[in-house]
Amino acid sequence: MRPRALPYSPDRGRWRFAITPFRVVLLLIVAVTLALLGYRFVAGLGAVTNLSDKWPWSFWTWWKLSAVSLAGAGYFTMFMIYFLGRERYRDVERGAFIVSMLGYLMLCAALIIDLGQWYNAYRPLYQWGYHSVMFELFWCVGSYTVVQVVEFFVIFEERVPWKPLNKVLHKIHAPLLLLACFLPIFHQSALVSLYVITKGRLDPLWWSQLLPVYAVATFVYIGPPVILLENVIANRTYGRPVHMRSIADMLPVTAFMMFVYLVTRIVDYGVRGVFDELVSGSLYGNLALIELGIGVALPMVMFANRDLRMSKHAMVAASLLAIFGTWSFRFNVTMTGLVESIGVGWYVPSLMETVIALGLGAAVCVAYLFIVENFPIYTETDVAACEAAMAEAKAKELAARPRPRMAVLPADEVRELERAGRH
Amino acid sequence: MTTKDLRQQDPDVGAPSEGERAGVSRRSFLRAATVAAGTTAILSHTATSAGASELVPEDDLEELAREHADDPGMLIDITKCVGCGKCVRACKLNNDLGWRADQPATGAEAELASSNWTVVRAEPVETVEESRLGPRRRAGRRYVKFQCLHCLEPACASACFVAALRKTEEGAVVYDGNRCVGCRYCLLACPFGVPTFEWDETFGRVQKCDLCADRTSQGEPTACAEACPQGAITFGRRGDLLEEANRRIASDDDYVPHVYGETEAGGTSVLYLSDVPFEELGFRTGVAVDPLPTYTWEVTRILPPFAAGFSVTILALWARRQKILRERAEAEGTSQEEVGS
Repeated sequence: MRPRALPYSPDRGRWRFAITPFRVVLLLIVAVTLALLGYRFVAGLGAVTNLSDKWPWSFWTWWKLSAVSLAGAGYFTMFMIYFLGRERYRDVERGAFIVSMLGYLMLCAALIIDLGQWYNAYRPLYQWGYHSVMFELFWCVGSYTVVQVVEFFVIFEERVPWKPLNKVLHKIHAPLLLLACFLPIFHQSALVSLYVITKGRLDPLWWSQLLPVYAVATFVYIGPPVILLENVIANRTYGRPVHMRSIADMLPVTAFMMFVYLVTRIVDYGVRGVFDELVSGSLYGNLALIELGIGVALPMVMFANRDLRMSKHAMVAASLLAIFGTWSFRFNVTMTGLVESIGVGWYVPSLMETVIALGLGAAVCVAYLFIVENFPIYTETDVAACEAAMAEAKAKELAARPRPRMAVLPADEVRELERAGRH
Repeated sequence: MTTKDLRQQDPDVGAPSEGERAGVSRRSFLRAATVAAGTTAILSHTATSAGASELVPEDDLEELAREHADDPGMLIDITKCVGCGKCVRACKLNNDLGWRADQPATGAEAELASSNWTVVRAEPVETVEESRLGPRRRAGRRYVKFQCLHCLEPACASACFVAALRKTEEGAVVYDGNRCVGCRYCLLACPFGVPTFEWDETFGRVQKCDLCADRTSQGEPTACAEACPQGAITFGRRGDLLEEANRRIASDDDYVPHVYGETEAGGTSVLYLSDVPFEELGFRTGVAVDPLPTYTWEVTRILPPFAAGFSVTILALWARRQKILRERAEAEGTSQEEVGS
């Protein structure tokens, strides 16, 4: 497939954003979402969602938790480079970082959309309900998002140089990284420990005091699979090479963490005596088996296999499975596990609710494309590779185009023209 | 070859070589499995047996009940209620709630909603009576007056991150809409499904019974208790009500030998008596006996020590990397000088 656009390079200085049919679709979804959000902010939550007093949280909550789990990509690379010294992961660093930052910005937007009195959202700054998990969440998500946006200014400053900003950024770089390493662990755990208080109602297949541990584990190990997918998408969009060497180096870490996670889940079932329910063949037991079997065990085995690890297709499949596992864990905690105790059946999101969720995702995609095309995200070597891919594709296209043939006019017309010329 | 030489060859700072990586991995998998299993067994100690406290010792639960013995509460005797709905009317008038056609407050469909702080729900039941001809089934009906139970340790207030919901000194669980952000975590946290949300408002707030805090703080009974013509709602101090409830159970075999609210969620200020098993009347049974905030506390209390340990670890890792980077810069500096000379 021919790359449709080029990533940013200092040689091409002006701001731009290539428009392709796919991007038109994305922008349309974003536009519809904005309109729906306008309606939501006027008419209230009940008008756009199917939420009720029985299901006060559901689809959007799942979507938020799932989308922001992908930010593990940025966390994983950051930790590996700045705290474990794996300098070679620099080639995937910024791409992963952008995915994470956008994930968090989306989470913040989604949280505000989901609030009844959103204009009060600043109040936890001085109204301290410190005993709530949500309080921890508010502070950590808020400050981590700020940290990431400030980190983005490092990239921004490279594009729009401004000395004073550079000086400040240089000074706060170290504390910023330390904070960035510290904060996510706490609120990623908090995101799912919100459900610890549903003890007795959330199905024991998913209620556990270890919910925060599971949340952090799935958040961190999902990093490398997300980086791989980001690489593959960047490859298809810009012709950027897939950094299989770095990624194949990271994937065993994922396999290892998945293994520990799986053991923990199973021992936890054993200790709490819910192992029977897991293998009982009931709907919920089977959903948990699918989550752990297809979403954790299978990709774990694939990541751990040295031969498979060199195959891009196998790794993409395994990465998708790993994301499925992470998302279905969050799905089961926020939805499946509560169906029984809520007792009004499964939650079915409304059309508008679904479109808004998709629209937030589409906005993240558009923002990613825009940032890549206007800021130095990819390394110089990668940009050169993208340019080469583009040039090659253009040359191929030119070669494949049918040659223009000479016009052949009928003989009598030629004669007529000749006559006209003579006179 | 020293480690330092290796480092200079490898682009990574302090990264182990391929051989080291491969050699460690299989053994470390096994070791990790053992560690994980052990830690899980320790951390995940809760048994799922219903009815017994899991985290809080029995003595502490009794102490909690003693502390709140003077709190205002209500004893609702389902056997005495005839479903007239006067309590609902009194509640709506006292709290200025209004009537909505789509939110019935009495009848079979009655449910707590933004305009219903209390409801009287009609529940069809089947009772079995002993007669000379053997057991006889009788179709009947019970009326369940439902509202906030005012937990001794309310899950909703512990879940509220802006302290909009709180338990007052007197003992009522009250809500301040001006502080609320409308996140609805209280709706999720409440084990009884009490708080409701204004879904059709532009700026939705939470609605729930406040035990007529305006009246009870003046020493008056709640509006619903005052309005009841049947004496089905007794207003009083929780300790006294509990005694009264147990006396009624002891004096009449028809009562289910359980006071709903005595132990549920650590105990509630509103208590129920019934002659029909509570689960048949739509009550949530199997509610944890420990106060629900304890479960969250069990998780959050690990955080400060964990945070401390984690900070030390990342600081150490950070310092180590800085040192290696410095060393490398020095090494590169000297080699460049050599080339230069």
